[in-house]
Amino acid sequence: MLWFLRRIAVSLLLAWLVATIVFMTLHIVPGDPAELLMSTGGVAPDPAAVEELRERLGLNQPLMTQYGAFLMGLLRGDLGVSLIDEYPVLDEIALRLPRTLELIGVASLLAIVVALPAGTYAAVHRDGAFDRAASAVTALLLAIPVFVVGTLLILLLAQMLRVMPAGGYVPFAQNPIQHLTLLALPALAIAKGLAAVLFRMTRASVLDVLHRDHVRTARSKGLAPGHVMTLHVVRNALLPVLTVLGLHMGTLLGGTVLVEYVFNWPGMSTPLLRAVEARDYPMVVGIVLTISGLFLMINLIMDLLYGVLDPRIRTA
Amino acid sequence: MISTLTRRGFVAAGAAFPFALRNAHAQAPADVLRYGLSAYPPNLQPWVSTGASAGTVKIMTNRSLLSWGPKGELRPELAESWSLDGEGAWVFRLRDDAYFHNGEKVTADDVKWTIEQVASDRSTAYMRTQFQAIARVEIPDPRTVRIVTKQPLAVLPTWWPNYNMHVVWRGSKPNAPIGCGPYRITAQERGTAIEVQAFDRYYKPGQPRLKTIRFIAYPDENLRFAALQAGDVDIIEYLPWQSMDSAEADPRLKVLSADGPFMDILFNGERGPFTDARVRRAVAHAIRREEIVKAAFFGRGSVLEGVPIAPGTPWFDEELSRGWRYDPARAKALLAEAGVPNGFSTVMLSSAQFGMHKDTAEIVQQHLAEIGIQCELRLPDWSTRVSLGSRGQYEIAIHGVAADSNDPDGLAVIMDTSLSPTYSRSFGLKAPRTTDALNRGRGEFDQAKRVEIYKEMQRAALEEVPLVGLAWRSQAFGMDSRVQGFAVMPGALSLNSAGLLPEVSFG
Repeated sequence: MLWFLRRIAVSLLLAWLVATIVFMTLHIVPGDPAELLMSTGGVAPDPAAVEELRERLGLNQPLMTQYGAFLMGLLRGDLGVSLIDEYPVLDEIALRLPRTLELIGVASLLAIVVALPAGTYAAVHRDGAFDRAASAVTALLLAIPVFVVGTLLILLLAQMLRVMPAGGYVPFAQNPIQHLTLLALPALAIAKGLAAVLFRMTRASVLDVLHRDHVRTARSKGLAPGHVMTLHVVRNALLPVLTVLGLHMGTLLGGTVLVEYVFNWPGMSTPLLRAVEARDYPMVVGIVLTISGLFLMINLIMDLLYGVLDPRIRTA
Repeated sequence: MISTLTRRGFVAAGAAFPFALRNAHAQAPADVLRYGLSAYPPNLQPWVSTGASAGTVKIMTNRSLLSWGPKGELRPELAESWSLDGEGAWVFRLRDDAYFHNGEKVTADDVKWTIEQVASDRSTAYMRTQFQAIARVEIPDPRTVRIVTKQPLAVLPTWWPNYNMHVVWRGSKPNAPIGCGPYRITAQERGTAIEVQAFDRYYKPGQPRLKTIRFIAYPDENLRFAALQAGDVDIIEYLPWQSMDSAEADPRLKVLSADGPFMDILFNGERGPFTDARVRRAVAHAIRREEIVKAAFFGRGSVLEGVPIAPGTPWFDEELSRGWRYDPARAKALLAEAGVPNGFSTVMLSSAQFGMHKDTAEIVQQHLAEIGIQCELRLPDWSTRVSLGSRGQYEIAIHGVAADSNDPDGLAVIMDTSLSPTYSRSFGLKAPRTTDALNRGRGEFDQAKRVEIYKEMQRAALEEVPLVGLAWRSQAFGMDSRVQGFAVMPGALSLNSAGLLPEVSFG
């Protein structure tokens, strides 16, 4: 319990550090939100009008005053409003985060469903035809950048065959079939890299466990091969796979930018990118804080899962 | 009739399934226009400049006294007529049948209030400087607005159709401006889409022709074109140059375009080697512009070898338009005259965030090297580029912009060196004769005299070099071939073309 509380305290400290670093870095980097907003499209704004907008947005106040106000807001659970259209940052996150999570979730599920059985099968039939073919395919999948795959999928399915929309988003409640159709391409594009990594990890890990003493013992005790495989091999082999999956899912939280952009999926990466470009300070800090918070949570969950999979960690 | 399921039939049905699916996503009701925006509007404040995409939506929900027609001509909107009275004041006569979205009638009081807001000291309006030239607004009767300016102002009518200038109901709250446009916003998802529906009390009979317009943001230009090809949208703005060939070859699509915005070189006039106008002129003569058109714009544009006056307008002069033509010997001679015969090293500011800015910078860099000016490229993100530009933290910079209108006064915002510093004008540079000519042109009512003044302005600018023109770039809209009634306005107005959407229908 104490361990758990300490972890939470450390997580909160980390979150504050992240918030402070992001806040300070953003303000130090050149770029003035007021001037940028009024210069959209390359036009020349009247400097007096820019000054007026800076005044209204509170950007003329000393940095520490702005930081103080930001921290006070944070304590109240208020992430502020966008400098661009005064839209509440929390509302934007509430709208967009589920979509990114859905994308990552479905992609991870696809990757797991394909990679775990395939990796195990490849390891058991090492150097067989499937193993070789699958290894070649994963090398290829890892080598092709996600935006190339995305663009190719769009070119083929949307532009040439015209069987799918070229990206976009429709809420599930509005039209479930179209929602899933639109989800399919970006999820596939993310899943392909993840599946390749998971496949390799599973294969290597299963191979490693297959040659351990306890597996030999289990076999010599006369346990059924299926039983040995599921309980003694795969279960033990899953630990490193889970670590990799956890790390990748965390990275994906902020790393779906390209896929969301290519497929016009309105998740959380796109507003983050736009907010950075526009120097929309509250939006950037809010989104980065959310992502890092989730990252910390995923790490926590992974730690707990280790405990479930490996009792030695629990007692340690 | 009994149908039997055969293997062949099953395969055929399977093959047809995707096409059944296609119909589900590509068909929209006939009275809905789906418009692919290049960016989601940052906000829809009627007077604040937040880009052309925002302008497109704003011009649907708002109206001004005047608008631009398909050929770039001034058209009546809320004002049914306008003229100059004997004392040099502009008089606008309002129509009697225009209503705001809250049902209130559009009156001269609203116009007066709008002008006061835009011109106020606390204004963040794009047209603030211009409207501050107004001395007072008089309302002889509820349908007449008399605008008295501090100086004679020939160009005042051209300010009204700007997509950052709309008449707003005088009782509006700051964050909820009420307009009187042909459409009103009915649904909106931040960052993704905006839907507008026809306003039933719009004053033009039979308009808007389509009941609904759905604006969908596609920031990725390739996806925007893919969405058009896939039938997800009916019309897109900023058709990327590299896609124009395939759009033109596609029988389901059509492309309308005009050369409007342009690329230019800006200088720091306060410090560094470019304070000398001869060095700036040397730069102007050192560039082979057709290479920029070819490499940065896939051949979709044209060379700009003089002051950016649109060809085909009365102010255009063939000879003056070639005043900065490629002439390396002249460039070398000018450098020698300026005391730097062997050139020098400098840093060129541009941005890697936009391909056209980066590509243009790379070509200019090569050409300047040929006359001995070695440029190191500095290509930060756009935000940094804007900041560095406004503070004059550069010696030479690449920029891209469009004039406010096709009247040469629309260039003032780019070439008037007496205005306060901004990243899209040369920093601290003085071009007094150019500025003087711009000022005189603004106040001259006689067309023949204006033409002469602006030719003088071009001659002065060719020598003073407040900027160097490089290339006009094509501004194209791609659309389903069934889309009727749309046109691309000429020159600098091409970005205003979406103002014609209320006249669009499906043929």
